[in-house]
Amino acid sequence: MLRRTFLFSAGLPVAVSLAGCRGQRQFARIVNPGDKALMGSHQAGAETFGPLVDEAVAKLLARNAEAPVQQVSYDDAGEPLPCPPKRICFVGVENKSAEDIGDFKDELYQVIDTRLLQTPIFQPLNRRVVDAGLLETRLRPDQLCIPEHMRQFATHLEREGEPIDYLLYATLTSGTTRENRDYERSYRLTMELIDVRTGNYDKQSADLVKGYHHSRLSRWRATNPLSR
Amino acid sequence: MPRPGLLAIVVPCLVLLVGCATHITRLEPVRAAFHRGDLDEAERLIATDLEKHPGDADVLTLDRALVALADGRPLAAEDLLKEVRDRFDHLEQESPAEDAWSMLSDDQQRSYAGEDHEKVLLRAMLAITNLSSDGGDAEAFSYQAAEKQAEIVAAATAEDGTNPKASYRQIALAPYLRGVLREETHRDYDDAARHFATVVNWQPEFAAGQADVVRATGGVHSPHGHGVVHVFALVGHGPCKVVVEEIPSSAALLVADQILSATLTQSLPPTVAPIKVPRVVAAPGLVSAVAVGRTSAGGGVAWQGRTTTITDISRMAVEQEAAVHDRTVARAVARRALKKGTVFGVKEGLGVERFGPAALAFDLAGVAWEAAENADTRCWGLLPDSIQVVRMELPAGQHTLALQAVDRQGMSVGRAVPRSVTVADGRNTYVVIQAPDAGIIGEVLSSSP
Repeated sequence: MLRRTFLFSAGLPVAVSLAGCRGQRQFARIVNPGDKALMGSHQAGAETFGPLVDEAVAKLLARNAEAPVQQVSYDDAGEPLPCPPKRICFVGVENKSAEDIGDFKDELYQVIDTRLLQTPIFQPLNRRVVDAGLLETRLRPDQLCIPEHMRQFATHLEREGEPIDYLLYATLTSGTTRENRDYERSYRLTMELIDVRTGNYDKQSADLVKGYHHSRLSRWRATNPLSR
Repeated sequence: MPRPGLLAIVVPCLVLLVGCATHITRLEPVRAAFHRGDLDEAERLIATDLEKHPGDADVLTLDRALVALADGRPLAAEDLLKEVRDRFDHLEQESPAEDAWSMLSDDQQRSYAGEDHEKVLLRAMLAITNLSSDGGDAEAFSYQAAEKQAEIVAAATAEDGTNPKASYRQIALAPYLRGVLREETHRDYDDAARHFATVVNWQPEFAAGQADVVRATGGVHSPHGHGVVHVFALVGHGPCKVVVEEIPSSAALLVADQILSATLTQSLPPTVAPIKVPRVVAAPGLVSAVAVGRTSAGGGVAWQGRTTTITDISRMAVEQEAAVHDRTVARAVARRALKKGTVFGVKEGLGVERFGPAALAFDLAGVAWEAAENADTRCWGLLPDSIQVVRMELPAGQHTLALQAVDRQGMSVGRAVPRSVTVADGRNTYVVIQAPDAGIIGEVLSSSP
């Protein structure tokens, strides 16, 4: 009896283990709009950047959507003409947050650039033209705010047949508040529009706060109204 | 007349006694051929090994990729590296069946999913390989290298918050490549500065790191009319795994099974065969750096700099192995305990007489079973001792570089190799060389900006 028990207890784990084998190859799926998306557990992801871009771009467009020009003329009925689009040079996305945003940087640029291009308010320069301008002038993006450099860059683009009215910067910043092993990080995407003729600037920003919790219980305590 | 059941157990165990040479023993001629620059011989030996030992296919394919790279075939090297990268990713999953089988035999029976440093270096090497051809995927590969590195450390966090891999020396090549590529955009200097700062943090010995940070923070990629040449050199012999005998653990286990044998109803097979585990050892080789200069029209060479280490592979591999060595030994000890327990259980199950000839036969079979174990020495055998880099700003146009491997005393090793490169205004040009022992071997690769 003792022997049988011993053999059973020794052999069973081995037999069970033998039944297991390595899983299949990696799987994938298309995430359609409305499907449940992944939530970055350690840093910001699409769930953070998507709303930030939506809000910041919407605010920027709303702010710059001017009333159409009322043309006054003796031979027509004064039909309003749309304002000419503002020619902007979207210099780039600066990451000044506490996180490495990895492959999101170019993604953010393209999303913002595409949104701006789709509106009649702005006419962004092609990114390749911007890049070539920076290469030719050897100016750093952060140097373009200095009036002399701004003029130099704008003149260069004008010489290339691409005059601009505004420089546009997108800057991602963050602030972190810690409570023991949990922390909250507020993300801010700021869109800064600078008039290359006057140097005047305008900015719009969007904020999003994300909580990072070391356990499910901690997350539950943070979201449950009874525990507050 | 021995019982058939007894024979059925004892004979297979004795068959296991016929041990095989470990991977590293078979790899020695390949390493020797590669290090002396005989790429054809290295390729032939790898092909032969691949036919005979399909279980080692992944590590041999990695070696084959470095031979292809030295042979001037970066696209072939990239394909081979990608194949192994995907396979290692698959093999990272636990296989309880394989784990159980390896507990009854040895770790060589497990599929090899690569050491941690190999998984990261594989991606970094993909980036370098890609840079030497069209460079279109280099940024993605360097990103993958950094991601893999973070993933490996994060995955090792235990329930209590401890992490044996938190002390790992990180591969600074990955952020360096990202910094270099972002700087070339002339736009993402903030990214470049961040990556170069990571390089300085991870590899403080990298002398050029601070200058990279300063340039990315406040300077520009290169002056007007100039471009940048990055020379990546794979220098020296990389680390390899050797078999070591864990004498203290073996002695402790021998005493333990003596005590148990005296108290239990059956004796346990004595620990005659020492416990064998792999140990990573460094053997850096003769070459310590590569001097780079420009050949003038008159044929003279103006030496401009030497490559410096951005990733010390040997040191990193040794430290990483040391961090998980106790686990490797614990696994080997657990295997021994399982084997002894199995022999004990079978003897009990069959009702073998304690001091009879059958018990002796079982113990002998148990000793043979344990002696058949060998350490798993599979590794990426042709890795260099270090990956080094030097950055040079040169006027746009055609230049002939002179590349000379040097030893620790600064003496030339092998002959100087000329290489023509094209430098474009505001762009990067990449040169990739391998200098294991006999100076620079194979073909010097250069990208077109």
